[in-house]
Amino acid sequence: MEVISIFIPCTVDLFLPHIAEDTVSLLRRAGVKPIYHKEQTCCGQPAINAGYREQAKKAAKHFIRVFGDDEKVVSPSGSCVCMVKYHYPELLAEESEWRRRAEELSLRIYELSQYLVDVRKVEDVGASFDGKVAYHESCHIVRGLGVSEQPKKLIRAVRGTQLVPLKAADSCCGFGGEFANSYPDISESMVKDKVEDYLSSGADLLLLCEPGCLLNIGGFLSRKHPGKKVLHLASFLAEYQETMNDKR
Amino acid sequence: MEIKTEQFSEVAREGLKNAHAHAFLKLRANFVRARRETALSTFPDAAAAQTYGATIRGEAIARLPELLEEFEKNALANGARVFWARDAKEANEYIVNLAKEKGIEYVTKGKSMVTEELGLNEALEKNGVKAWETDLGEFIIQLLHLPPFHIVGPAINISVEKVRDLFIEKINLKEPTLDPVQLGYAARLFLRDKFHRVRMGITGVNIAVAETGTLINVENEGNIRFSKSSPRTQVSVMSLEKVVPNLEDALHLVRLLCRNCTGQKLSVYVSMDNTPKKDDEMDGPEELIIVIVDNGRSKIYQDKIAREAMRCIRCGACLNSCPVYREIGGYAYGWAYSGPMGQVLNPLLLGLERTQDLYRATTLCGACKGVCPAGIDHPSLFLQYRAKDVLSEKTFRPKKRGPTERSFFRLWTWAVARYWLWNLGVRMVRPFINKEAHESVLRNVRGPFEGWFRSRDLPAMAEKTFHDRWKEIQNQNPEWKIQKDNTQV
Repeated sequence: MEVISIFIPCTVDLFLPHIAEDTVSLLRRAGVKPIYHKEQTCCGQPAINAGYREQAKKAAKHFIRVFGDDEKVVSPSGSCVCMVKYHYPELLAEESEWRRRAEELSLRIYELSQYLVDVRKVEDVGASFDGKVAYHESCHIVRGLGVSEQPKKLIRAVRGTQLVPLKAADSCCGFGGEFANSYPDISESMVKDKVEDYLSSGADLLLLCEPGCLLNIGGFLSRKHPGKKVLHLASFLAEYQETMNDKR
Repeated sequence: MEIKTEQFSEVAREGLKNAHAHAFLKLRANFVRARRETALSTFPDAAAAQTYGATIRGEAIARLPELLEEFEKNALANGARVFWARDAKEANEYIVNLAKEKGIEYVTKGKSMVTEELGLNEALEKNGVKAWETDLGEFIIQLLHLPPFHIVGPAINISVEKVRDLFIEKINLKEPTLDPVQLGYAARLFLRDKFHRVRMGITGVNIAVAETGTLINVENEGNIRFSKSSPRTQVSVMSLEKVVPNLEDALHLVRLLCRNCTGQKLSVYVSMDNTPKKDDEMDGPEELIIVIVDNGRSKIYQDKIAREAMRCIRCGACLNSCPVYREIGGYAYGWAYSGPMGQVLNPLLLGLERTQDLYRATTLCGACKGVCPAGIDHPSLFLQYRAKDVLSEKTFRPKKRGPTERSFFRLWTWAVARYWLWNLGVRMVRPFINKEAHESVLRNVRGPFEGWFRSRDLPAMAEKTFHDRWKEIQNQNPEWKIQKDNTQV
């Protein structure tokens, strides 16, 4: 059984821990043994995004110390993976040994759906859900990592589920970390557009692979459209697992 | 041009309220995107064509000083005059004096963002020289006294009814009409008369070719060609980063520029000028004057990262793809360059202190970077500008960050490398945050995060984080336990 290491983003750990549990059970389902290093903290995005590069470097080095020897690292967040994959080598460019370690790690870290489909070659995780779903293409996943087909393959393999098109699916939902708080008017207008497109898609559920977008879209839905739901793909796949009896 | 970058939030709010513009911009975004993609698909390999464009611009910036010298040498050999303007004042004074010496009453102008940057029209008018904008969009906003809403379509937000009323009032439109062709015709008649008697034309430059001293302009209305060919004196104003090594490079950029800009394979007019009229030629301007504008760019050039912003070829694809621009429109950016292009350029040209919002009001979504044919990494530049604020880099006229933020990151950094402290911090903060929670949901929380709560809820902080749960999960599933612990810490 392949052993992989999971990185749980701080947003998930603090506000959405069920996504971490769903990630674990999904990986188990795919025949993988996930391990969790208790020494993990944050990938450093808040610091680099605020311009605190020296501080972000400290986070990067800590991350590399914790995960540097793992064969593969998997995370249910595209933006954290982008941080490690693209920003670590750039942040540590002037420290050759750290840079080498960062570059090595950048080849071994995967976003969850990317790992399942590209590395494990798993599409059908044995889930079933009767209904229509739409998929929001989060910025760091689709443009940052070039991951777009992988989550859709996982969704299409769910029995009973119809994946319906979402207008402007790859348009930003307006999260952007501190942006959502500092520019609430612009951010609200963006998330409103996203939700309108979701509502007009006719989907019963909106799925995505990015915790930040989930907090943003979910928070807006909870306030303005409490009946409508948005789920992390890991939760969707884990929640609608077929029981052993009704399996094929 | 008046600098209003500090009023970003106010003007953005006005933009958001404009439901008509919002609906239009959303529709337009889809339309423009489809057109651009169709146009790009006419390349055998669109991604490679974009990458090649980025390579050309990358080389042009890397070799900028040398290319500029080569360009000047060849332009002079072609019979052009070259004036190097260190800043807006020098450029404006030179052009104003030129007009005054010749006793010129008015000039015609082709749409040029660098002259907006210089505030050239205002400088000319202050000295009694009228500047007529001859691009239809620019002409409309000039009559309305508005700044450009979009760098390619400066008047796209102006309704046709408003244009009709404006033309009735200002240019003697005889029969009221909403037919855009008729309205265009009215503007043409009015401007044709200006071209007829014009003695000095001022245009921008899309691309300057070092190897040949050629100036290239790309347009759809023919007004730039008119402004360049009718008068005795042709003045071409270029910011110094517009130069590329040779004609092959330039032509590839023209192909990319048109596709990325308006979704055309080629614009209706592409004009290339090398020399003023030669003795044996019938017509054409007798003098060709090239004004090369620095205006802070050579200082920016010293910074190897920031200089990459100068790759921009002003196609406007980044504006069309930007989800923030789509919400707020073009006025909020407060200066000549709007959208992501302005967000990377304006802070360098105006200083960071008064352009804070330009590189902070972004979700870092990367849509701009994804479409840029010049290879600009806008999100990374935004982060670099923020870092310059934190480090107070004098060259960039930074704005120092507040003490609260600094202390926060000091604490954060201390904890991020010590997981036990990190988790202790979580346990200490949780009761303060969760005291506002009802049924595990935070709503309408006041204080530093109230922006978030204006339109959104947030789940309460988990009573047990995943970190806390991991041991339990393993105990429930003994087969999950892994004996070997391969962390080094």
